[in-house]
Amino acid sequence: MSTRLRQSAWCTGVFLAGVLLHLGTLSSWMSIIALGCSGWALAAAAGRARLPGRAVKQILVITLTIAVLLFFHTLNGLAAGTALLVVMGSVKLLEANRRRDRLIVIGAALFLLASACLESQSLPRVPLYALHAWACCAALAVVANPGSSLTDRAAVRLAGASLAMALPLAAMLFVFFPRLAGGFWAFPKGGQAMTGLSEQMSPGSISDLTDSNDPVLRVTFEGAAPPPEERYWRGPVLHDFDGYTWTVGSHWGVRNETVEPQGRTFTYRTTLEPSSRTWWLALDSIDAAPARARVTFDRQLVGLEPVTQPLTYRAHSHTRTRSSSVLPLPTRNADLNLPRGRNLKARALGQRLRAAARSPDDFIARVLEMFRTGGYEYSLTPPRTDLDSVDDFLFNTRSGFCGHYASAFVTLMRAGGVPARVVSGYLGGEWNPYGGYFIVRQSDAHAWAEVWVEGSGWRRIDPTGVVAPERLQRGILDLLPNAVSASERLLHRLRWLAALQQSWDATKAFWDTQVVGFDFSSQMAVLQRLGVPSPSWPQLAWALAAALAVWLAWAAWQFGRLPRAARPDRIARAYQRLCGKLGRAGLARLPHQGPLGYAGYIAARRPDLAQPVGALLARYAELRFGAQSDVASLEAFERAVARFRLRARGSRES
Amino acid sequence: MRAFLERLRTSWRRRIAAWALRRQGTDTLPVTVRRGRIYILPTRAGLGFGLLLFFMLVAGLNYGNSLVLLLMFELSAVGLIAMHLCHRNLQDVVVAEAAAGAAFAGDAGLVSLVVANDSQLARYRLEVDALDAPASLADIERGARARVAVAVSTSRRGILRIDRLRIATTHPFGLFRAWTWVHVPLELTVYPRARGARPMPAQGGPHAGAGERGTSDEDEWFGLRPYRDGDSPRQVAWKAYARGAPLLVKEYVASGSQLRVFDFDELRDLDTEARLEQLARWILEAEARGEPYALALPAIRIDAAHGPEHRDSCLSLLARFGLPRAR
Repeated sequence: MSTRLRQSAWCTGVFLAGVLLHLGTLSSWMSIIALGCSGWALAAAAGRARLPGRAVKQILVITLTIAVLLFFHTLNGLAAGTALLVVMGSVKLLEANRRRDRLIVIGAALFLLASACLESQSLPRVPLYALHAWACCAALAVVANPGSSLTDRAAVRLAGASLAMALPLAAMLFVFFPRLAGGFWAFPKGGQAMTGLSEQMSPGSISDLTDSNDPVLRVTFEGAAPPPEERYWRGPVLHDFDGYTWTVGSHWGVRNETVEPQGRTFTYRTTLEPSSRTWWLALDSIDAAPARARVTFDRQLVGLEPVTQPLTYRAHSHTRTRSSSVLPLPTRNADLNLPRGRNLKARALGQRLRAAARSPDDFIARVLEMFRTGGYEYSLTPPRTDLDSVDDFLFNTRSGFCGHYASAFVTLMRAGGVPARVVSGYLGGEWNPYGGYFIVRQSDAHAWAEVWVEGSGWRRIDPTGVVAPERLQRGILDLLPNAVSASERLLHRLRWLAALQQSWDATKAFWDTQVVGFDFSSQMAVLQRLGVPSPSWPQLAWALAAALAVWLAWAAWQFGRLPRAARPDRIARAYQRLCGKLGRAGLARLPHQGPLGYAGYIAARRPDLAQPVGALLARYAELRFGAQSDVASLEAFERAVARFRLRARGSRES
Repeated sequence: MRAFLERLRTSWRRRIAAWALRRQGTDTLPVTVRRGRIYILPTRAGLGFGLLLFFMLVAGLNYGNSLVLLLMFELSAVGLIAMHLCHRNLQDVVVAEAAAGAAFAGDAGLVSLVVANDSQLARYRLEVDALDAPASLADIERGARARVAVAVSTSRRGILRIDRLRIATTHPFGLFRAWTWVHVPLELTVYPRARGARPMPAQGGPHAGAGERGTSDEDEWFGLRPYRDGDSPRQVAWKAYARGAPLLVKEYVASGSQLRVFDFDELRDLDTEARLEQLARWILEAEARGEPYALALPAIRIDAAHGPEHRDSCLSLLARFGLPRAR
């Protein structure tokens, strides 16, 4: 293979590999352009085609830029930028004749890698990224060493060794390089909506329930974890009801309740999976909002931006609270409101029960008692209800899941004049012994109710727990195995497979929290662990400087000691042995004598040795000063020196 | 403007060269390239790589993307490793021999080096150059040595002094260039360009001979000429001197008229350089025919002979003609 073809193949290869990293997001016409240009460039390098002229390339550049602009309506942003990089890199392939062009193509491949990293940081893709970086480095070595004996295999090995040797420094920089917070410029993030909770709930339409096993969040408790029946992860709070569907509603209250925490504080670190939503799920109820988030009037934790990357935050919560403040009137009205003319039977039932009860507490107890004894059953596949969903459920189907119970309970409460609201979120979480965390999945989605009781504030009531107490203890899988897909049932049944899945999940979680989620606060935590009492920027800078100094010293030592050639080489050692033998016979070499001069000297002193010694010395001179010296002739010389014997003249003559 | 920049560049380079010579001193072979004499700077590709890393850093910080930052740090570290590897590729290389040959003016003159690698590391793509000539490349296996020839362009007849050689490398990734200067003064003999339209002088010019009957039986008596420096005492006509004549030298002609004498003084109507070029041309022609020839320059004479050694010594005389004696 010619040098040109080989270099061209490497550049084209790594560029195409970079395009491949974007295969899921790139439109097909861009991939086709990249493929076409690669083929053209390779054919030209093989001498089978001619590269286009300057004018053709300029037209291509302009046309493709306009095409990208028309396609995305912008050149700003990740997707458009990547597309532009792909098409421009493709055109560049068509002029990758000089070394500079080839280097630019490799640079484009590295940029494609970086933009792939921006797109997805998930662990399964990391090996692909690593391979691509490796290939790019190898291509760099091939392009930088034309006309050298560096083979492809040697280039790959060299690149791999360099990447491996670079890892410690990269890790140090990763940990200690100060992470400036915030963006320098805004950029439109392309994110698709993902499944999970939504801001509305229609228990009557049964497909509502997600049966997905996808993780929602992982949480590590510092200290003891709350018992399973208290692990409520609070999501959107639903205030408005139209008789069929619950929504967040348009009411914006003021957060002025004074919450008195009860029981012990739970401190935890949560990592949220990307959801494209702004809400951050927190253990109910959170004490105070972490940075870049706030707590709404109805105690939901909401971030300032949608969660598009795994996100970690640390917070404190109390699972039980009291409040002695007064419920603001607008909020009270919103949480007492029921749609006119809908669910009339349920409203009447609520009013009747309230009238019979001595106190709100008694009212609540009576309603729950009705659920317990009224022949209601828990089902993930209940029949559909009609538009008056609460009436239909309470008096007709009597079968439903959490959403039905919460919906009916809140309706009854409001009908009885007790402010109430539906809270959606997740309940429970599976313990992962490998990672030491709880994982909450989409299938843990749950809905419960909150009622306002004068003097004790908002109180959580979970009517589902009355009907199916096991739901609070165990996940849906244990409860209703038929509710989820076959593969997930299988996974659940096979212990070893489940263990495997758990350890994989633990690895992913480690990746998400310790690598992807590594930020300034994590840096501070590292410094604290290193014994810095109150770490801040200057300490971080010092740590970085110290780490760099250590690395530089290591590198200087590592690379400075390897090629030491001070010891005489094998040729010189063999020569020294020969001179030693002659010296012991009284024919020591004088310091100024070179090998040939020494041969002449010996020939003059001992004509009988002129031939054998002269031949040896000539061989030495050839090995030492000749242009070529191979190992075989060196070894032959060593053997000849070892065989060489001479006796002193006196002993020979005697 | 361009000329000014060029001048600035030249003077800057001269200053750096002088500094390096002061720092290192003149070398005697063999020269081991120790760390202290290896210089290293990023190449253009290296600067571009740095720019790429900077963009990645900005993107990573801007989007708070750990993976891009990790990639950027890894590539930066690779860059630093590459710097060390580049430096190491040159470290402890030995320049065992260096010699300059000869060339006709206008042709490329060869400077040949023997570069040895006594270490356990293979050396890749060493670039050897002198006088800004295009570099010659060499890969050297571990424990091996390689002969590298650098082609230097010549323009004027004379002695081309090569004060220093440069050995450089951009291995492994082309991001850095490490180089060293070896100050071994070499002299490249530049023969006059062989050209000229004059026919070769007729055979049968005289030459000085020893003894009364010439240097060989075939030689015939030609006559006497005044003594010049360099003539052997055996050629002097002592009998005539004894009779009171000035110092004379006996001259003979090769019998069979095999002898040509290329005489500088005969080409009176040409200027010096043209005469030397004509003489060089005749020498090559005579060599091509395998005929012996003698060379007569104002201060020196070379007896008739032929063969490569004779040719080279004649051409060297032409190259050095009229130059102040070197050193």
